[in-house]
Amino acid sequence: MTSRTTIVLVGVASLCAGLVIPVANAQRASSPVKVVQLTGLVGVKDNAKGTLSVENGQLHFVHGKASSDVSASSIQDVVTAADSQRAVGGPIGLMSMAAPYGGGRVLSLFRTKIETLTVLYRDADGGLHGAIFTMPVGTADGIKKELVAQGAHTTATGDSTPATTPSSSPNKEQKQ
Amino acid sequence: MNRILKEGIGLFFLTVVFAACPLLAQKNKPAKIKAAALQVEMIQSDEIKLPAEFQVALYENLIRQLEKNGFSHVYRDGDRNAASVADLVVLHSTVRGFKAGSERARQVTTVSGATSITVHCQFTSPEGTSLLEHYVNGKVRFFGGNLKATYDFAKKAAHVANENFSTPSRE
Repeated sequence: MTSRTTIVLVGVASLCAGLVIPVANAQRASSPVKVVQLTGLVGVKDNAKGTLSVENGQLHFVHGKASSDVSASSIQDVVTAADSQRAVGGPIGLMSMAAPYGGGRVLSLFRTKIETLTVLYRDADGGLHGAIFTMPVGTADGIKKELVAQGAHTTATGDSTPATTPSSSPNKEQKQ
Repeated sequence: MNRILKEGIGLFFLTVVFAACPLLAQKNKPAKIKAAALQVEMIQSDEIKLPAEFQVALYENLIRQLEKNGFSHVYRDGDRNAASVADLVVLHSTVRGFKAGSERARQVTTVSGATSITVHCQFTSPEGTSLLEHYVNGKVRFFGGNLKATYDFAKKAAHVANENFSTPSRE
């Protein structure tokens, strides 16, 4: 009899824990992800490196000592996409183009996979802004899910195109 | 001697004619349309499949370049402050052509992999009357990522706006 009561109690406790833990996880702030802000955040320079996180209903970008926040409720659309960039970039990558025997071109073949996160949001006056971030593979979807959980809107369901357009097929010319 | 004098006079007249042509052309140039402020609508691409980052980069670069070109009041899509502005010009942009290209192909071959975007820009009054229509291209042929084509487009579109519209801040 005692054994059966114990089993029932353990079962109820497990059920409660199963219900409470996901809620607690959803409210917990996501761990910051290293990103590059390509463009779009007010007061942040293009190609600024920093960390991106979602906490207290805000998309929080920290760059050096400065930080920029976008309210999740003001976000109209969040889109993720896969991309790639040169493994050796910047001035060194540019200088390598002058390397003899096509050495620079060989370097161009080495590319690292990245993900892009595109966010469309409105400011206090209703003006539309768009911000683009690049980040390591496997991190964009997590941020998107957190944003949606905290009130952001999204129209794209897995493809890389925002509200007004369907998905794209790269390297394919489309002319009218 | 007489022949040299004749040829000299002929050359002089020819020079005057060539010099006068651009001046006359400038005189015949249509007057700029008055625009107190510009409102940039979000880039549309209903017919062309365009990645989200391209759409956003086109929009953001366009606003930035217009501000750089002396338009002191550039309003964004949906900005409520634009409603009360007199002589407002609204810029509608629709993507008509897009070739994604490849940065890797550009760097390896130099001749292939160009990214290009063709955008139909229509400047209208707030009521929807068309003031000016123009096709603007954005390209990246050699160096840089694919998104650089959006910067090229924005620069050219801002130049078109600069050529055809006058704002109080630039008068």
